[in-house]
Amino acid sequence: MAVAGKEMEVAVHALRFLAWRAFLYVALVLTVAVMALPFYWMVTTSLKDVVQALRIPPVWIPNPVVWNNYPSAWGAAPFGLYFFNSFFIAVVTTFLDVITSIPAGYAFAKMNFWGKNVVFNLLLGTLMIPGQMLLVPSFVLINRLGWYNTYYALIVPWTAGVFGIFLLRQFFRTVPDEFWDSARIDGCSRFRYLFQIAVPQVRPGIATVALFKFVGSWNAFLWVIIMTDKVGLRTVPVGLRYFMLEVGTDYPRLMAAATMAIVPILILFLFAQKQFIQGIARTGLR
Amino acid sequence: MQRFGHWRRKRFWWETVEAYIYLLPTLIVLGLFTFYPFVNAFVYSAYNIRTRTVPGPVVFTSTEGVEDWVRLLSRGRLPEELTRALERRGVSPDNLWVRLREANRWVLKDEGSNDEYIVLRDGDTLKVHKAATGWVGTPVGWANFQRALQDPDFAKALVNTSVYVGVSVPVTLVLALVIATLLNQALRGRPFFRLATFLPYITPVVAITMVWGWIYDRHVGLLNYLLGSVAGLFGFQFSFLDWLNDARFALPALIIMNVWRFVGYQALILLAGMQAIDREYYEAARVDGGGGLEIWRRITLPLLTPQIFFLLIISLIGSFRIFEEVLVLFHGPGPEKAALTIVYYIFTKAFDSGHYGLASAASVVLFAIIFVLSLFQLTVTQRRVHYER
Repeated sequence: MAVAGKEMEVAVHALRFLAWRAFLYVALVLTVAVMALPFYWMVTTSLKDVVQALRIPPVWIPNPVVWNNYPSAWGAAPFGLYFFNSFFIAVVTTFLDVITSIPAGYAFAKMNFWGKNVVFNLLLGTLMIPGQMLLVPSFVLINRLGWYNTYYALIVPWTAGVFGIFLLRQFFRTVPDEFWDSARIDGCSRFRYLFQIAVPQVRPGIATVALFKFVGSWNAFLWVIIMTDKVGLRTVPVGLRYFMLEVGTDYPRLMAAATMAIVPILILFLFAQKQFIQGIARTGLR
Repeated sequence: MQRFGHWRRKRFWWETVEAYIYLLPTLIVLGLFTFYPFVNAFVYSAYNIRTRTVPGPVVFTSTEGVEDWVRLLSRGRLPEELTRALERRGVSPDNLWVRLREANRWVLKDEGSNDEYIVLRDGDTLKVHKAATGWVGTPVGWANFQRALQDPDFAKALVNTSVYVGVSVPVTLVLALVIATLLNQALRGRPFFRLATFLPYITPVVAITMVWGWIYDRHVGLLNYLLGSVAGLFGFQFSFLDWLNDARFALPALIIMNVWRFVGYQALILLAGMQAIDREYYEAARVDGGGGLEIWRRITLPLLTPQIFFLLIISLIGSFRIFEEVLVLFHGPGPEKAALTIVYYIFTKAFDSGHYGLASAASVVLFAIIFVLSLFQLTVTQRRVHYER
């Protein structure tokens, strides 16, 4: 009797476990469906003609698949130029941000100097400043510098960032001091040590910083429309907005353009998922 | 001993010099483009700031045919010599027109690049300058703040933004907690789920907002169709909501979209926090015979407080900045200004109507709100957060 009761208990336990598992996966799949649906809808709409796109009930799988929206959207606005601008600005900004963040992050991680805490807290404080608060003074400043409608306005202000410095500081902290001690004994300057020995050890951190900077730069919109108003300087998001104002509610073409704007970020993400997740995980744990 | 101390002090100062060399690029960029504008935001809020078009560098000088030039320009026509000179600088003559005609001073506008040129007559010479922007400020004390606080639009912006923040921040966080808990339990497929939940966070706002604009379409949008189907399943009638043109639904539309956009990112931060919790806590709790929910409430949640407070602060600051979404979804402040937010107010006041001082005052108010909320949260954090180590 006692044995049967025990078996019963195990069976109930197993059932409850299975039920919980089932519930868990149903909930997760539903969540993913909700998260993915707008993307699915964007891509499928871009592959329909207008008649299909506007049909109710909606057409879930485009039939026939219409590819024409892509060349049509691409030809309707100078997207080639927009993509060039976005790439150029993002690559240069990212490169310079990494270059400035490496020594700064290293200094905070491994060096002892006068005013270290004050400077560090000052930088930490910038996180509380909403960037939008700085729009008017930055606009005045950029005009005074004569940078209105130039690449400088879109690149230079973003070449240093607190995120990169803090993240790299964390990474540099994990580099053992013994490396520096022995490098110093061998007569190596700190600068050379930093770039030849320390930097290769924090490569994952640098990749993470670069990724987030690139994405941030690629997605920038407000700053670009305030600091420039030339067609020649439009980036992908800005161009997308103007495209939208032009074509109105031609949804298939709009969605084709939106897909094109997202694809570079998507590719980047697929190739560097680990760095993204790492960056995210580390922002929470300070 | 003293000698040794002297040597160490010397090394410390040398290291200080070296460290500041390392920090120099960062300090220059942040100083010029963050701290300096930050101070200026306060300064400008006490000024009435206007812009003037002032002559910049000289592009072209002419001493011949001055009278012809004056005659043509005064009629709003462009002398051929001038268009040719500007054409060499890449200005298409079709885009050029005389925007302003005054005695001995004309302003030309190039629609292609939005550049302006100023033609000045000085006796027998004509000089074509590239136009620059000059800034004039007159101190007005608190007038900008008074104007903002008396402006019903600003009040509306404050209310709208507060409602938006007050709803979207807690909703996102609670949903993120649920999703993180689910993900933490999942045995397989976690990377895939992670990918799907994270993607909205890194896609360009403009692009993804366009997609939502399509989803929100009243007649053929996906959301109304899905809501209608679900309602139909339970035998309800559902009349399609006019998400983007009905004042009642403007804020909900923004909230739904941004909860969707940020929930995955927050869930991932919480998940990272959960996975950093020492297994021993759970084992000890299980030995003590706690149920799943109780363990979650008594162990997981308290040990997650650093992440939760971190998310609260950054999502509060982030949510107060909402702007791009409004512009792309509504092409304006929304129906009956129902989606007019603080940053939208700042943006239009400064860059549409040129009230830079007023916009700065509104910026300072925005900062004050965020600052007070952050301080409040920090003090609460000091008292309530459980740190593991």
